Amino acid sequence: MDGLFELIMVGGLLLVGWLAGSTAERNHLRSLKSREAALAHMLVTDLRSFPGLAGGGKTPTLIVGEVVIATDYLKTFLTGLKKLVGGELRSYLSLVERARREALLRVLEEAHRQGYTAVGNIRLDSADVGGVAKGRGAAMVTLIASGTAYHAAP
Amino acid sequence: MIVVNTETIPGLRIVATKGLVQGNTVRAKHLGRDIAASFKNIVGGELKAYTELLTEARREAVKRMIDQAEQLQANAVVNVRFSTSAVTAGAAELYAYGTAVVVESQGEPGGGA
Repeated sequence: MDGLFELIMVGGLLLVGWLAGSTAERNHLRSLKSREAALAHMLVTDLRSFPGLAGGGKTPTLIVGEVVIATDYLKTFLTGLKKLVGGELRSYLSLVERARREALLRVLEEAHRQGYTAVGNIRLDSADVGGVAKGRGAAMVTLIASGTAYHAAP
Repeated sequence: MIVVNTETIPGLRIVATKGLVQGNTVRAKHLGRDIAASFKNIVGGELKAYTELLTEARREAVKRMIDQAEQLQANAVVNVRFSTSAVTAGAAELYAYGTAVVVESQGEPGGGA
């Protein structure tokens, strides 16, 4: 009886994880796509030489964006299975990619808001806020993007 | 205070280098956030409370770094880098560091790099 209850619990969580998780992921990817398209005119590089620099603009400034994204229950479960055989964890790949794009977008949006047209010297770092590396807590991805916003000629 | 993560600032010339300045903070998330996070781990999506925690921590670290630069009579910090470390489960250190410099106008802007 207890075993059956547990099975239903896990099944329910998997279902909720699948429904909510895939909806959240789809919505996020759609939002990323349209926001990236809106800022496609900005010059974004990881160069320190300020390509396309135009004089007379505002003084360049540091801009930082961060994001923490959690996985859903289904992904955690499937990853657990996949870990038995090893190989690429594709469900986590999309998680990391979404976090990276989101953090970078936040930098670009803030730069755009402040009236800059380019961001140089982009750096992307990941962090461990939840103590995931120590095996505590479920998987989440923390991304910190930073760059120097400046004014570039169109 | 001008803060950039590049080594130079276009239009400005570095006339004096004051040395390394740094700021850090160790922040813990509170229990409410932890519980909310464990729910999020079922449905997935952004952990907004953690993102805010990180933003606050980063602002504080940068502010402490700038305070140090001001004490050195610098007017800019260049080549700023961030680094984090997990001190213990549920707490994170955010560390910001850079080089404090004195800059002055180059006259004609746009000549930097």
